[in-house]
Formats: sequence, C-alpha cells, structure tokens
Amino acid sequence: MRNIVFRFILLALAAILLVTACAPKPTVTQPPVAPPAAGQPPVAPPAAEEAKLKACYIYVGPIGDIGWTNAHDVGRRYVDDKYEWLETAYAESVPEADSDRFIDRFVVEEKCNVVFTTSFGFMDATLAAAQKYPDNYFFHVSGYKRAPNMGTLMADFYQLYYLNGLMAGALTKTGKIGYVAAVPIPEVVRHINAFTLGVRAANPDATVEVRWIFAWYDPAKARESAEALIATGVDVLAFTEDTATVVQVGEEYTAKGQPVYTFGHYSPMAQFGPNSLISGQLVNWGLIYEDILTKIYLGIYTTENLENVDYWGLLSGGWQLGAPSSVELGGEFGVPFNPAFADALKAAKITDPLLGEISIYDLVSKRIEQMKDPAVLFEPFSGPINDQSGALKVQAGQRLSYFELNTIDWFVEGVIGSAKP
Amino acid sequence: MKIPRLRFERRLSSPQWLQVAALVVSLLLAMLTIAVIFYALGVNPLIAFQRIFRGGFGSVYGLKETVTKSIPLMLAGVGLTLAFKGRMYNIGAEGQLFMGAIVASGLALEFSEWPAYILLPVMFLGGFLGGALWAAIPAILKARFRVDEVLTSLMLVYVASDAVKYLVYGPWRGTDTRGFPITDEFSAAAQLPRLIDSRIHYPTLILALLLAVLIYLLVARTKLGYEIRVTGENPDAARYAGMNYQKIALLVMLISGGLAGLAGVGEVAGIHFRMRPPEGISPGYGFTAIIVAWLARLNPLAAILTAFLLGGLLVGGDAIQIALNLPAATVHVFNGVILLFVIAGELFTRYRIRLEF
Repeated sequence: MRNIVFRFILLALAAILLVTACAPKPTVTQPPVAPPAAGQPPVAPPAAEEAKLKACYIYVGPIGDIGWTNAHDVGRRYVDDKYEWLETAYAESVPEADSDRFIDRFVVEEKCNVVFTTSFGFMDATLAAAQKYPDNYFFHVSGYKRAPNMGTLMADFYQLYYLNGLMAGALTKTGKIGYVAAVPIPEVVRHINAFTLGVRAANPDATVEVRWIFAWYDPAKARESAEALIATGVDVLAFTEDTATVVQVGEEYTAKGQPVYTFGHYSPMAQFGPNSLISGQLVNWGLIYEDILTKIYLGIYTTENLENVDYWGLLSGGWQLGAPSSVELGGEFGVPFNPAFADALKAAKITDPLLGEISIYDLVSKRIEQMKDPAVLFEPFSGPINDQSGALKVQAGQRLSYFELNTIDWFVEGVIGSAKP
Repeated sequence: MKIPRLRFERRLSSPQWLQVAALVVSLLLAMLTIAVIFYALGVNPLIAFQRIFRGGFGSVYGLKETVTKSIPLMLAGVGLTLAFKGRMYNIGAEGQLFMGAIVASGLALEFSEWPAYILLPVMFLGGFLGGALWAAIPAILKARFRVDEVLTSLMLVYVASDAVKYLVYGPWRGTDTRGFPITDEFSAAAQLPRLIDSRIHYPTLILALLLAVLIYLLVARTKLGYEIRVTGENPDAARYAGMNYQKIALLVMLISGGLAGLAGVGEVAGIHFRMRPPEGISPGYGFTAIIVAWLARLNPLAAILTAFLLGGLLVGGDAIQIALNLPAATVHVFNGVILLFVIAGELFTRYRIRLEF
C-alpha cells in the first residue's frame, strides 16, 4: 500500500515538472532600441560652485573581487577624488532581489541625486525607481531599458577580445584554444565570438572550446573548467570570470613545463602570470562616470533628456568623437601585451588581403589604430561570417549592428560548444 | 590536583521561565558579541544598533519593507517549526522555496490567459505541491533508509537552485529579454496585488498568518499534533506507542516543504512577476527561516513575530552598510551569531550543567 503512495508522489512530481518545463514562451516583439546618443560637446571641468552632487553606486558583488565590481569601484573613487562638488556612496553585494530597497534608501535617506546600478539584474528595479523618483537621475549598466531620467552605459570588450584572439591564434601550438565562460548571455557570447574571429584570422584551422560555469564568481569551477580544457590539449585560455584563477592555472602549468598561455580579464592580472599571461582586457569606468556626472552637473543632462543616452564604451571612445577610450588592451595598464611574447608575435605572419604579409605584432597595432579611429576603420564582426553549422550569417561587406551585437545568441564557426546550453 | 569537569544532566522538565530566561540571555550575549565585532570594525555599537533598528522599524518605509521581507521568512519559518518539532531537521527550505517558485512560474507562463481568481490559487497550490514533493525526497530517504535528512535536504537546495538556473538560461528564457536569463513578465492575472505604495503582497501575508494559526492548532490541539510532539521528543517511545514514524516524518516534511514552496510563489508572483536566477529570487530566505523557527522556540505563532524581527534585521542591515560603510557581510555575521547563541542557549533548558571537582 505504502509503495503505491510513494510511487504516486514521485509520479506527481515528475508530472508537475514535465508540465511546467514544457510551458511555451509567449512571443512578444520589442521595437529596436535607438542608436547610441549623439555626442555632446566636450566638457571642461566645471568651476567650483556651491552646488553639490551626490552619486551612489549599487554593486552586485563585493568591491574586493578582482573583476567587475572592483573595476566600477575604481571608477567611483576616480570621480570622487577628482571633483570637489561630488560626493559618492556605495553598497556592495546587493542581492538582485533586494535592489529596490537599496535604491529607495539611497534616494530617500541618503539624498543621492544620481544612482548607478551596475548589474543587469537591477534593470527592472532601476526603471521602477526612475518612474517613482522623477527628479533623480538613474544610470543602469549593461541593460537596455531607459526613461527620461534613466540612461544606460556599458564599456565593451569585444574589440579587445578580437585582438587577444589574434595573439592566441598566433601562439597556440596545438591549434586548440579554450574559453572558460561565465554565463550564456549576449555579452559573453559576443566576446567568445570576437575572440574566435581573431583566432581564426591568425590561424584559420584553430578552434575555441567553450566551458560554461554558470557563475560570475566561482574560482573553484573556473579552475576545474580550465584544467578540463587543458586535459583536452588546449594550450591557450581566455575567460570571463571575476577572479584571476584561470591566469593562475596557466602559470602553474607553465611553471611545470607545460606552457598554457592566458589573457587577463577586467583587472590588471599580469602579476598572476608573469611567464604565461599574454595580454588581456582592461576597463576604465571612471571616464564614463566622469562624462555622465559632469554633464549632469553642468545641466547638459536633465531628468527629461536621458531617454536616448546610451554609452557604449569601445576603443574609439564609443560615445563621442575624441573621447578617451574607456577600454584598454593589456594585462596591466600601459602594457598592451607581455614583452616576453614580442618575438613570437613578430615571427608569426599572415597574409591580409589589404595589408599584405604582416606579422601579428604589427597587425595588432594596426587594428588598434583602426578601431581607435573615430570612423572605426575595422570592425571584427564584418562579413562574411559563418555560424557553427557553416551557414553564412553575415554577408560580405556587412557589419553586425549595435542591436544585433547586443542580442547575439549564436556562435561563429570555429567555436566548439553551445551558445544556448 | 583534579581538573574540574563539566557534567550535563538531562532535565526531566524545563520550566517556562527557564526557557524565556535562556532566550533572553542568549540574545543579550549575542548582542554583546556583535557589539564587540562592531567595535573592532571601528563603529560605535550603540550607533550601529540604533541604525539597524531605525532602518528596519523606525520609519513607515522601513516597516513596509520589513513586512515584505517577513512574508517568505514567516511561511518557511512556520513550516520549519513543524518539521523541527517532529525532529526532522529540514535544512532545505531554500530549495523547497525554489521548487515552489518553479512550479508557480511554469503555471503562470503556461496558463497566462486564465483569470486571476483561478490562476493565482492554482499557482499557490502548485507551489505548495512543488515544495512539498521536493521535501518528500529527504523525508522518504530518512523514513525508509535512515539517510540523514540534514545532508539530503541541504544538498537538494543546490539541485533546485541549478534547476532554476537551467530553466531561466534554457527553455524559459524570455523572448523580450534580449537574451538575458529571466523569463518574460507574468501576465497581469498571475501578479499578486500589493498594498498601495509598498511591496507587501498581502494575499501571501494573509495566507502566512492563517497557516501559522492552523499549524499552531494542529500541533497544540490535535491527536496528530500530539503524535508529532511525541515523535520529536522521543522517536523510540513513539514507535513503542504504536505511532507511525514514517507517516509522521513524511507529513511534517511535506507540510514544511509546502510552506516553503508557498514562500517561493509569493516571491515570483508578488515581488518579481517573473522567474530569475536563484540569487535573484531569494537572498537565502530558506536559511534565515531556520533562525526564525529556532528563535520562536518552534512555536508557529511566535514565528510570526520572529519572522518580523529577522525581516527587520535584514532591512536594517542595509542601513548600516550604506550609512556606516560596513562590509555587506556584517549582516550575515549578525544572523549567524544570533543563531549560534540561541541554539547554544537551548542546551541550558534541556540540561542542568554542573561543575564537578
């Protein structure tokens, strides 16, 4: 008798899971987002005035991580130190479920004029707060919803990943490259694609194998994935995760006599891989924060004109002509790649249809120059580009649009793994 | 020279005054310990306590948020009082909460066109079943195979959490979310009403209060409640008396899991209106609920109060982070210290402690 009861319970559990797992998703189409805001005239540092501005930051992780949140906090301290009229405050490790309350508290009790929320998961809460407090300014990092008093900003690494890919393709001996990836969202998919496009430009037969760890911060899983990839013959690793674990793994293997080269991510990580780190991606959020806050201070931004303000920081500055780059190539600021690899990069040569025979060393400099140009003379996502199945996704002569880059959910040819695991 | 030894003697009965005294002293000692931590962090403990209290209870805004937070804590906490009473150490309320959220979200997405008066009750029912059946796994393993339920229920939290991740990154990822790992927003029918200008989804609150009273009556006034109490006090005695241990173990786990599942329904249908990655649904309500239950000394009615207190502590915790620039982890330390002292204080109500020379 009891057996039947137990079986019934298990069956019911299975049935419920089955029914709910098969729920179809309603289709809703969203109008495409407006292009990034046109540039405003450059801003001179304002003269000392009586008016004060208080900017408050809501971070998803601890400021002591060595990735995303730390980089934002470096940016906050940069503007805080630079401007007398600016006061800042922050809250770290804010759970997505609680962000509403932190925003409320910042606005109501701490009298913050400007609130920056630095995680995608804070998007809905930020929008709700923007509607609730029409006299405050809100900026959301990495999202796409805006309001008259809410803008968006992002500094993106895809160009840097392309440059890293060029180096990876040139330096791999096995032709197998690995990528330890955080979570499958368009940003990470875009970066893996850009990296792979770079790899294949330098080494058309090389592959990039992806391991998802489903976490932004998980050193244990990052190590496990990196070691699993190395076991399959991978000798170069790139990653998206908020610690230097993958760089440390590369350095350990290199020290043992099995070279595994890596690229740093988000923070200066050269110190963790003096013999194995090739290059990496660095960000300077402070420049974007500075631009936003001075424009608010000078009255260029109001609580009625942020609807189309969307910063997209790239090598070319991204949001206005002549703005300094908010992203930088390298494993530490001012050092685009580890000098130990200079000779190898000079020795690796490819033939480019436009540039002729050129070393990877020169090609990287050339591509940086082209991408820094306000006219963006080179774009990694230029056709022809095939997807994993070999089908043509981007026609020759076409570039992926801003919207397509921000919603990308497919891998380019050469990636091993699924973009929708 | 002889070294004095601590001797523990089991008390035959523990008087009411002793229970209250143990609780009060435990809390005072916990506060004292926390005060030392604040002091070490360079913050005046009195100011810190005042900020926490003011943040959680000192304003209409804080109170509204405290009530909002207390809803999942109350549901899961009340359920846990029952499980612990029957000596089933269900540590997995967090996972049961996730399963409730999964089932409710699945129903909300699948039957979005149903009217609210059908859809919402179905979601609550489904969420209860989801949580209950998730709790049934450790219960069955314990009752039939004597597998420690602490371990299995805790481990199943991570399974449930990964199930949420799988769904939001996989089949349920929204169509209007630009590839981000959240489901589409629930239809209006699947959204719980809230008290004006707050996040208090009052239907869940009413349900929580009602269930607290019901569970209290169940334990205090019914034959089944008596069996649960006896089983909890002494499983062997219960068995000799002819009580069905397996039935009771399963039942208290089903109910406590179901209540945690309801808490998950309240979060997705009352706060987020969609499913998101696990850390977005619950910042550890299921674990904090363990403190709620112990602090209430396993009394479901008292759990209403302790849920409110712990809710206030969580809300007030933001205030000290923001206003005093303390690390975010301070609040977790705070909660941990309180639980430690309350559980340690239990010892003194059960045992008489003597020094022997």
